[in-house]
Amino acid sequence: RSLLGDLTNAFSGLMSSSNGSILSQQQQQQQRTFIQMGTTLKVVDNSGGKEVMCIQSLRGKKGARLGDIVIGSVKEAAHKVDVKKGKDAIQKGKVKKGNVVYGVVVRAAMQKGRVDGSQVRFDDNAIVILGIKEKKKDENGKEKKKKYAGGFHQPLGTRVFGPVPHEMRLKKQLKILSLAQHLV
Amino acid sequence: MRLVKCWFCSSTIYPGHGIQFVRNDAKIFRFCRSKCHKNFKMKRNPRKVKWTKAYRAAHGKDMTQDKTFEFEKKRNRPERYDRNVTEDTLKAIKKIDKIRSTREAEHINKRLKPNKQKIFKSAITELDQHISLIKAPGSQQQDSEKMKVLVSSNKSVQNEAMEE
Repeated sequence: RSLLGDLTNAFSGLMSSSNGSILSQQQQQQQRTFIQMGTTLKVVDNSGGKEVMCIQSLRGKKGARLGDIVIGSVKEAAHKVDVKKGKDAIQKGKVKKGNVVYGVVVRAAMQKGRVDGSQVRFDDNAIVILGIKEKKKDENGKEKKKKYAGGFHQPLGTRVFGPVPHEMRLKKQLKILSLAQHLV
Repeated sequence: MRLVKCWFCSSTIYPGHGIQFVRNDAKIFRFCRSKCHKNFKMKRNPRKVKWTKAYRAAHGKDMTQDKTFEFEKKRNRPERYDRNVTEDTLKAIKKIDKIRSTREAEHINKRLKPNKQKIFKSAITELDQHISLIKAPGSQQQDSEKMKVLVSSNKSVQNEAMEE
């Protein structure tokens, strides 16, 4: 596992984004790369989770980009108390700390090319949680979730915060698009 | 397809160029090239960076208010395609461009004109005061004396005879 981690790091160093690291007077420009094992992502829905650490990207050898699905471990979740007091929140957070979840990347700091030739990039890495991975041997996490409407994994929460890119349409995450406040 | 303006330098961004940065408050910043993008990341204010249009407009260097700018405003309503309208628009774009650039040049000329007059006046005073750098102080008086010599009338008659 660690070997693979090192390899992916090397790859990402070689094939990093065009935001090269130049040493300006005080700041060093950050190299924005893929979302890989160990990347912490912000959760932008009201499923209960706050922060998720990526443990596997389901697409791409180098890591996930904008619109890809990742498997993550919930590092930080909303307190039971907070969630109960919230207006449109559920009684208990659906997601608890330590849960292994599927999520789709809705905002990535690494730029993504669009069909018209433009590049888009966001301020942070953010995901919307799709489903919880079951630990049981009989029921695979994916199979259970296919019962949701819409075919693909559908979001667990009922609200999505922040801007959401059009790439969701290509990835069939239409519910997220409909819940979004701003479309980019 | 839509041509947009770079947030930093205000130049037009053609399709396939530049990067679009979306902030978490859903504000979109478009940059024409990495130069502008990097300056933005350094948190520079375009109104203080000399080569940007924002600086020039803010400091009165370039023309800001003119009717020709109103032709270029963003319109969110799509126009129904009409061949004649498209043709006329294309011709109009060229003409408006020409007019706008002549007006901008005029504006800059006007701005620089008082300076030109200043330079002219200072040149005159410099000639008066510092002519000694080029000519010796004595020689100048000789030149002026030479100028005062008159031509006598006899000689002129002789010249006429020679010419015939």
